[in-house]
Amino acid sequence: MATKKLRRAKLSQELCERLSRYQITTCQDFLCLSLLELMKVTGQSYRSVQKLLRKVSLACAPKMQTAYEMKMRRSVNPSTAFLPTSLHSLDKVLHGGIPCGSLTELTSPPGCGKTQFCITMSVLATLPVSMGGLDGAVIYIDTESAFSAERLIEIAGNRFPTYFDSDEKLFRMTRSIHLYRELTCDSVLKRIKSLEEEIISKKIKLIIIDSVASVVRKEFDTKLQGNLAERSNFLARGASLLKYLAEEFSIPVILTNQITTSLSNGLAIPADLVSPAYDLSLSEVSGASGSGKRESACVTAALGNTWSHSVNTRFILQYHDLLTRQILVAKSPVAPFSTFFYTIEKSGLVLQDGKNLSNLPWDGTNPALQTIQVRNTALRNALLNITDESPGDTPSL
Amino acid sequence: MDLCEVLRTAFQEAEACLSVCSAALEIGISKEEALEALQVVRQECAGDAAKTAGGSGSTRKCTALELLEEEQAQGFIITFCSALDNILGGGVQLTKITEICGAPGVGKTQLCMQLAVDVQIPECFGGVAGEAVFIDTEGSFMVDRAADIATACVQHCQLIAEAHQEEDHLKALETFSLESILSHIYYFRCRDYIELLAQVYLLPDFLSEHSKVRLVVIDGIAFPFRHDFEDLSLRTRLLNGLAQQLIIIANDHKSAVVLTNQMTTRFGQNQSVLVPALGESWGHAATVRLIFHWDNTQRLATLYKSPSQKESTIPYNITVRKWDHIPRLFRSCDAAVQPSLCSCQTDGFSSFNCYFSFIHIIKQLCCLHPCECTQS
Repeated sequence: MATKKLRRAKLSQELCERLSRYQITTCQDFLCLSLLELMKVTGQSYRSVQKLLRKVSLACAPKMQTAYEMKMRRSVNPSTAFLPTSLHSLDKVLHGGIPCGSLTELTSPPGCGKTQFCITMSVLATLPVSMGGLDGAVIYIDTESAFSAERLIEIAGNRFPTYFDSDEKLFRMTRSIHLYRELTCDSVLKRIKSLEEEIISKKIKLIIIDSVASVVRKEFDTKLQGNLAERSNFLARGASLLKYLAEEFSIPVILTNQITTSLSNGLAIPADLVSPAYDLSLSEVSGASGSGKRESACVTAALGNTWSHSVNTRFILQYHDLLTRQILVAKSPVAPFSTFFYTIEKSGLVLQDGKNLSNLPWDGTNPALQTIQVRNTALRNALLNITDESPGDTPSL
Repeated sequence: MDLCEVLRTAFQEAEACLSVCSAALEIGISKEEALEALQVVRQECAGDAAKTAGGSGSTRKCTALELLEEEQAQGFIITFCSALDNILGGGVQLTKITEICGAPGVGKTQLCMQLAVDVQIPECFGGVAGEAVFIDTEGSFMVDRAADIATACVQHCQLIAEAHQEEDHLKALETFSLESILSHIYYFRCRDYIELLAQVYLLPDFLSEHSKVRLVVIDGIAFPFRHDFEDLSLRTRLLNGLAQQLIIIANDHKSAVVLTNQMTTRFGQNQSVLVPALGESWGHAATVRLIFHWDNTQRLATLYKSPSQKESTIPYNITVRKWDHIPRLFRSCDAAVQPSLCSCQTDGFSSFNCYFSFIHIIKQLCCLHPCECTQS
């Protein structure tokens, strides 16, 4: 919209030519000038410049719709407003599932099940609408090379054994998952920009980026000057492009994020995540901070405050004890704060509905600062037999 | 009158005698007489020249008394959270810009959706009976949630109407329904800052066509301006221009303008602190600034800047719309609640919810069943 040429904004030919002499060719250039500059550049009076402004604005401005029209459109096809996750209690709390048309983010320490969740959602998106899917293709942008096709088939076969009863159905499903391996921020951004045409041609119904944090943290070191602003810039640009795609085509977008340590004085240090075997060692971090005081460190979602604003829904996956993990709904425009327990099995994520600890409403807090339990804390708690009832305890050092 | 002749003969052109004192001095008349004569002359000149119409109402002058009368007659858009309304001095003021800053997930969009519904409450129920323009830059507007809020509002008004059984209440309820509320929320989705600028340029015309609009919400003024801007001075200029236009819109069309802003981390010496985004100069744009933040698990709202109210902080909650939560709320009312006051403001707790009827329902129901309110 911003790059619309002035000619198409129904301005007269000579005016466009005159403006192009000042390098003003798009609506964006026109609207960024002040009234005085516009008067100078067009050589017209105050009133006619205001009229021109209105004309150009008409060309750029969005269409008006009333909330009623939006609701009617939603109620016409209700089944495509959400993508059910097949975790029934979670779907109930979310009023249907992962919302279409907005960004959903998964944050967790390594090894909690983000990639498993993404793989499961890819399978679900390819299922027909009668089974709760979106009957479409999936774009999976993998920056960590963590996607495993064999695991995909295993999950599909075990979760929906009646549907995937033949090899042919499995292959049809795998053919509709388009995998892209992008390893740098630039290539990820370019790929997102090119997605618009692919969505239309391949009938894409789900976009997954696994993970945003790994590629961003490889390239931007927030301790270096200027990098923080550039990182926020990149993230904001990516988020707005993805939001545009999500809304334009009414599809869900799932992103994954990593964790970071935020010390009580607020500085965030990137967690050392070399491989899933190495967990964050908090005592090392607080010792390395250098100041004499003991600061209580807590593990939170990475990528900062601005990113927490950009995503519409945030799920936090964390460790509970040796076997079970927890999924927290930390930010959602429709769901209250809730938590569920799950384990990872052959068929992917399975909710532990039987336990009476499931579906606890908990007092959530700022989604950007919600503390997350990492593996060694969970292990420590399990070994010391501490029953951990409220999630998000700051591990005491 | 002969003074005018004197002036005109003394000065060939009327415009030459612009200074009263110099005219008085030259001709030898008193300053008051000179002023009178000059005003007559000026009126004649103004009558001759073509009418130069400035912006309608862009330069108004009035006495403070007229302003006081206007302010007192003016309505507020109530948020239905009494503590929030209290610290704001009655609610969101018309003709002023209110900015809501907050951390992610704290409830800014929820409040905006609630205000878009609340502005439509008919006058007999204490509302301003207006319509709402919702400009969304982040895509966080959820129609289903707005529908929930609207349904709760209608139910709440029905409760009041049943309690009072007045003619005009019932009449107003006929046109106050879910469909009508949703039809009067005009939604614009702006994807980048150019679309936002264009929309704000077109807003005066839109508001002239839809003269009943009393609320303009821009949800996410920060989002489109926080990326793609290498030239920060351009950003400041555009934001200032935007603020100016919004002030004009608020004044000319007697509507409230509500903006939501994000929080950003500012790194100090050894610490980082959350501050409202868009820089220091943007802080001057809004008349009233509310900051929503977290204190562990409690949401707090702080009135940070206001020309007429004191700085204060209140806790609030966002609850899910479920009728069966009412008993829970009754339980939380302390025994210390006076039956006559019947408000849930014990210990500063008040709830702000998509119902947004908890406080008033209690007030109403307490009047009907005083015994229930004192149960804790």
